[in-house]
Amino acid sequence: MALVYEPKIVGFLCNWCSYAGADLAGTSRITYPANLRITRVPCSGRVDPLFVVKAFQLGVDGVLIAGCHPGDCHYTEGNYHTRRRFALLHPFLEYLGIEKERFRLEWVSASEGKRFSELVSDFTENLKRLGTRET
Amino acid sequence: MINEIRNKVKELLETKRVECVIGYERATDNLTARPVFIYEPSQVDRLIFDETCVHNLSKYLLNRKDKPTGIVTKPCDSRGINLLLNESQLHRENLFIIGVVCSGVKKVRFNRIEDSLPTKCQYCPQHTPPLYDFLIGEPVTETSPRNYADVIKIEEMTSKERKMFWSGHFDRCIRCYGCRQACVGCYCYECFVDELDPLWVGIRIAPDENWVWNIGRAFHLSARCIACNECERVCPVNIPLMLINRKLEKDTLRLFEFEPGVNAEVIPPFATFKKEENLGVSE
Repeated sequence: MALVYEPKIVGFLCNWCSYAGADLAGTSRITYPANLRITRVPCSGRVDPLFVVKAFQLGVDGVLIAGCHPGDCHYTEGNYHTRRRFALLHPFLEYLGIEKERFRLEWVSASEGKRFSELVSDFTENLKRLGTRET
Repeated sequence: MINEIRNKVKELLETKRVECVIGYERATDNLTARPVFIYEPSQVDRLIFDETCVHNLSKYLLNRKDKPTGIVTKPCDSRGINLLLNESQLHRENLFIIGVVCSGVKKVRFNRIEDSLPTKCQYCPQHTPPLYDFLIGEPVTETSPRNYADVIKIEEMTSKERKMFWSGHFDRCIRCYGCRQACVGCYCYECFVDELDPLWVGIRIAPDENWVWNIGRAFHLSARCIACNECERVCPVNIPLMLINRKLEKDTLRLFEFEPGVNAEVIPPFATFKKEENLGVSE
């Protein structure tokens, strides 16, 4: 049997919106690829750029960061800081030779279970097309 | 020029405006320069300033936060002082800055002076220090346009080529952390690489650990690096670190219109935000 390449994705989901969104996808019985490994963080602002760097070092194929929509942050402004940080990290990772498709920052609210599932499917599809990451 | 500096330093020490002046003197090889701390007015003749004065002396100010200190600075070093002031690491009233209008220094490596200009001078945008109390030389008002030709060259490579390019360089890294020690922006009491839990960078000798160190270092200096070239100068294995720093500098300018060290009063981009901004992620 031929082995099918399954990319490994690390997801940092904010507790208040995106994690609840993923939970909603679950309770609504919407399926999404099992390639995503979820880490719950209190806020997308908790995600240190080093988390992403470290994840890539340890060989993951993609990193997803999901937080509340701008303006909806539980801590008022955490996601604005996230946006600035990763706006700079994203082109930097690309500069170092990590394809830009491998990193995604998305806003998912607690009511967007469907969108969350579509997002993960889309991300997984893209990574499958991209193939394994040579390290 | 050097007499102007010496006279000023003498005056500062005699009037007790400062306790000590940090400057450059001729090293024992009679060729290169080395940092010197002048405490006595009689010692001012040791001071020199020429194209061999490559060091960024502003790092030494961190140890003298509460002591009145004078310093001889080039434009890039003076940006370093602005960075430290912005981050509340220094008291402005304790400083006396002798700024020197600089047209570039020589490339100095291991007691050899090369004829080429170091990266920082090739792309230097500003020849007058942005911060000084006393200026030596005629201020140059026009600023050179920003040039990122070297960065654009890397950006035009394919993803795979870039990966090969950087792994070729990072594989050589011996993690001596000289780049950190020389850097004016690296003053954390505990650096992320020295932390044991979490272990950001493992102790094993492996290319991917070097990779994390070099990226982590560069990103901690994003929107903070004042392009003084010290990291690249001290690197024993010639990793082109300025090529990484300058990429971040370019993007900081593009995204946030911010230049580190130019003005100590401007809030740095990661300490603030705008509610409505399109930065090219998650849109």
